[in-house]
Amino acid sequence: MRMPVPTQTDFLRRYAALAAKGRDEMIAPDGKVRPHYAPLMAKLRAMPEAELARRFASSRQYLSEAGVFHQVYGEGSEQSHDWPLGHPALLIDRAEWAELSAGLVQRAGFLETLLADLYGERRVVADGVLPGILLGRNPEFLRPLADQAKLGVPLLSFIAIDLGRGPDGRWWVLGDRTQAPSGAGFALENRVATSKAFPDVSRALNIERLAGFFRKFREMLFSLGGPERARIGLLTPGPHNETYYEHAYLARYLGLLLLEGGDLVVHDDRAEVRTVDGFQPIHVLWRRLDADFCDPLELFGGSRIGTPGLARAVRSGALTLVNALGSGILETPALLAFQKPLARALIGEDLKLPTIATWWCGQEKIRRFVEENAARLQLGPAFPGAPHFPVMGETAARPGTGGTRVPASTREGVTLVGQEIAALSTTPVWGKKGLEPRPVTLRAFLMRDEDGWHVMPGGFARVADSRDARVISMQRGGGSIDVWIGSETTAKPVTLLGQNGDRFARRLPGALPARAADNLFWLGRYAERGEVAARLLRLHAGRAGEGWSEGELETRIATILEDYGVEIDGGHPERGLLALARQAADTASRIRERFSPDAWRTLKDVVALILEAIAEKDEDVVGLTSAVLTHLSGFAGLAHENMYQFTGWRFMQCGRALERGQATAAAVSALLSGEPPAGALEALLTFTDSSVTYRRRYSVDLSAETVVDLAVLDPLNPRSLAFQVNTLAEVTSALPGVHLGETPDLLFRRLARLKVRLQTADAGEVDTAFLDRIVGDLALISDRLTQIYLLSSPRAAAEWSGGPE
Amino acid sequence: MKYAIRLKITYDYPSAVNDARHLLRVRPRDGDGQTLQKMAVAIAPRPGEHAREVDFFGNGVDAIAFFAPQTELSVVMEATVTVERPPAPLAVTPGLGAVADDAFLTREAEGASPLHHLGPSRRIGPLPALAAYVAETFETERRPAGEAVMALTKRIRADFAYEPGSTSVGTSVAEAFAERRGVCQDFSHVMIAGLRANGIPARYVSGFLRTEPPKGQPRLEGADAMHAWVDAWLGEDIGWVGFDPTNGILAGDDHIVVAVGRDYSDALPIAGAFVTAGPQATDHFVDVVPVP
Repeated sequence: MRMPVPTQTDFLRRYAALAAKGRDEMIAPDGKVRPHYAPLMAKLRAMPEAELARRFASSRQYLSEAGVFHQVYGEGSEQSHDWPLGHPALLIDRAEWAELSAGLVQRAGFLETLLADLYGERRVVADGVLPGILLGRNPEFLRPLADQAKLGVPLLSFIAIDLGRGPDGRWWVLGDRTQAPSGAGFALENRVATSKAFPDVSRALNIERLAGFFRKFREMLFSLGGPERARIGLLTPGPHNETYYEHAYLARYLGLLLLEGGDLVVHDDRAEVRTVDGFQPIHVLWRRLDADFCDPLELFGGSRIGTPGLARAVRSGALTLVNALGSGILETPALLAFQKPLARALIGEDLKLPTIATWWCGQEKIRRFVEENAARLQLGPAFPGAPHFPVMGETAARPGTGGTRVPASTREGVTLVGQEIAALSTTPVWGKKGLEPRPVTLRAFLMRDEDGWHVMPGGFARVADSRDARVISMQRGGGSIDVWIGSETTAKPVTLLGQNGDRFARRLPGALPARAADNLFWLGRYAERGEVAARLLRLHAGRAGEGWSEGELETRIATILEDYGVEIDGGHPERGLLALARQAADTASRIRERFSPDAWRTLKDVVALILEAIAEKDEDVVGLTSAVLTHLSGFAGLAHENMYQFTGWRFMQCGRALERGQATAAAVSALLSGEPPAGALEALLTFTDSSVTYRRRYSVDLSAETVVDLAVLDPLNPRSLAFQVNTLAEVTSALPGVHLGETPDLLFRRLARLKVRLQTADAGEVDTAFLDRIVGDLALISDRLTQIYLLSSPRAAAEWSGGPE
Repeated sequence: MKYAIRLKITYDYPSAVNDARHLLRVRPRDGDGQTLQKMAVAIAPRPGEHAREVDFFGNGVDAIAFFAPQTELSVVMEATVTVERPPAPLAVTPGLGAVADDAFLTREAEGASPLHHLGPSRRIGPLPALAAYVAETFETERRPAGEAVMALTKRIRADFAYEPGSTSVGTSVAEAFAERRGVCQDFSHVMIAGLRANGIPARYVSGFLRTEPPKGQPRLEGADAMHAWVDAWLGEDIGWVGFDPTNGILAGDDHIVVAVGRDYSDALPIAGAFVTAGPQATDHFVDVVPVP
């Protein structure tokens, strides 16, 4: 999103005129700037156009460098899009926020009590406060957990509440997000990006910080897990989910294990993580996976991303989910029609925050009311599970205008509610012509610990992309802005690093999930595979560029390239290279939480480079492959220098060494077999990047023996085969479960033998048979490594195929 | 009537399966006209975990797990059950409209409540043509519900062809209704969907049928395997009554109830999740013999 340069003259007067139609966050009805916005506007007004443009650019740059993106579903496949952050933030007056917070805390307590009743005594149904059909027909009432409130663990610990400000100036509840609310991580990123753009402004305004809220949340998660402070997991649906980025980000920020259903296994009613070091217990999961998908045995049988037995582990009390399975029932829109009696019955008081007026069509009197008032209401599903209600603006389609019809009977009406159309307030956002009023909704976040509920001092605000928006949705081009709450005292910096009171102890990272290790291993392989292909391709193209005619050597190189999926003959070798680069980037995207954003961006850049060359029909293959190689060595460097050198890093090194070893063996074998063609020795030196070394070590003319010695046997040349085998031996000896004094696994025995063979071989012995045997040994070592550490079981769920007759 | 029941389910896995977890619903229920005298479940190989539970709908569940690779699984259930189920007085049941209203206003929310059996479930969704087919069979909302549901049971028996092998466990209600054929599970799902669409609570029943009929009576369809039929809720006083659309009769003394639920997904005899690379072959065998 490119921010145009605003015109500074009288932008406030222009904005006030635009915003005059309805309730605006910044401009009061009298046309003046509200007091809490005044300091911000004074600062913005003082900034020259060029400075504003520079500030917006710095926040964009941060987001792009941090790799913040969101998936957009639609035609065909999902796509990653840049994160649409607008400016300035939504400002909420401190006194108003305090009042709003009190209402939110009360509401969270109400929701918690309601959930405990629905999964416990179900008194609201027995006493006739809530029509039982809203429970009986509810897809989020999960029967295997019907009595879970009796376990005594909190069922709700982290929720979001969507709010919109009505024409009366009050904040109205538009809906509750209790299943697996998203947006908290994006709120954090918005905050960082906005602070990059306006560090002076946010400091001057004493904006409340978010880190304290997250620190409390993390503390709460650990305290749920018990005194031994075992690892806490974040359960994600995986990389194809719309908010996977956020899952990875929050896992990294809070120090949680990012887990998919397949990483978990249930033994004796206890949940365990499949790691490279065996099964490790886990007691608490922050659940971002919809409940129905969590257990294919007891919930949705078609789920391939769940864990069989998970519901049992929850029932036994050994596993606590935040939030509980089935908490999505609180998102039932029809519940909004029974707020008042429910609140009176459950907490004995009225709710401070009003909820959007909602009528359930399952009662005849009400159904008739909805019918008579159809023109000013919108109809929507009464139960969760159906696509979520979009938040509608003033010009929303009325029921009469082609949408759902008001049902003729209560039997059909059970599934429908009528809702008032929310007229949302507007907030200033910098658009094409300066500040523009945009309809805004606010998602507030709350977490619960032993002291009760706490509100995040800020939130996630969505803005529509136009003044007259019907729907605020990131999926349809809307954006988001930060939310600022002014504080009385200067905000003290709080960060999750180095908190007061925590005793510092250097601890090794916890056990590595087998799936993450597998991805790291393959990332090492894929990145190296891309490098090998790029090297060979550059060699091939370089010779053509130097005027060598197509000969035996070129044919041999092209044959090796074919093994990598790179076709020279079709005239588009860069396509094969693209496929390899994508494999590496995709693998990296599955384990983003384990990477520095820089390393991840390097891989994305390689894909972008090749795409660009293809789009521009660039035929400079040498230039392209050189650029690709520069980036890939940048990636290797970042991984080597910046990654914590523990188990995960070791698996990546294994992948890289195996791939490079196999490639070197295969290339030597292919280029020097039989009668080596002219130029083969030089080509091999170029391929192994060893020309300079060669000249320093052997001041003689090229000979097959010396080249082979350097490329295969020399333990000091980082590109030699021997070097890869030595690396493998060293790295694997530090893997979990390797103990001196025990009979070593086949993996280590084979590696040791290979190492000795390369140490003792004479360059003269190295022939095709010798090399082929090494390629075979490396393949076996790879398989064995996978079997011992990486086999992350893909699950197959099956129902009895015979069936009753 | 007293029966000796034997159920045997076997699986063969040509390539071994790992980390298998199963839920079995194979034990006959106690109560509602059934009395259990003896019951035993034998599982081979010996499971790594075995827990007995009761699910939300009151069905007995055996939750088992295997941690060692296995190439076969066999489950044998043997029970002695006495069934005394006097026919429900269908003619004196409340009208269809009254039953629907009663069900809708129920405040009881436990497993046996009609509230859980009024809406869509995993395998049962709205199908307007089927709703109309059932409404047409019912004729009027004032008709005694028992009589109307019996008429529907008979009509399904008459209109649908019983063709083992023509459908699978994955066959949808829409397909079975469109083709007017299937097996007991399809007939039951069709009937349940139609009843619910007309406001009558209906649930799926999985169970056994007497294998050989009494002298002079025809052999019932579905007696060689596990059978399925339908419970309809006919008001507070009478509650759930079994109807067998495959045979066009009331579920009586020849029907032994094992599990109930919203549809097949809630009541299936064996559900499993495991890791495997290969196919599987399965077989099951049922024998229900009257004993003195």
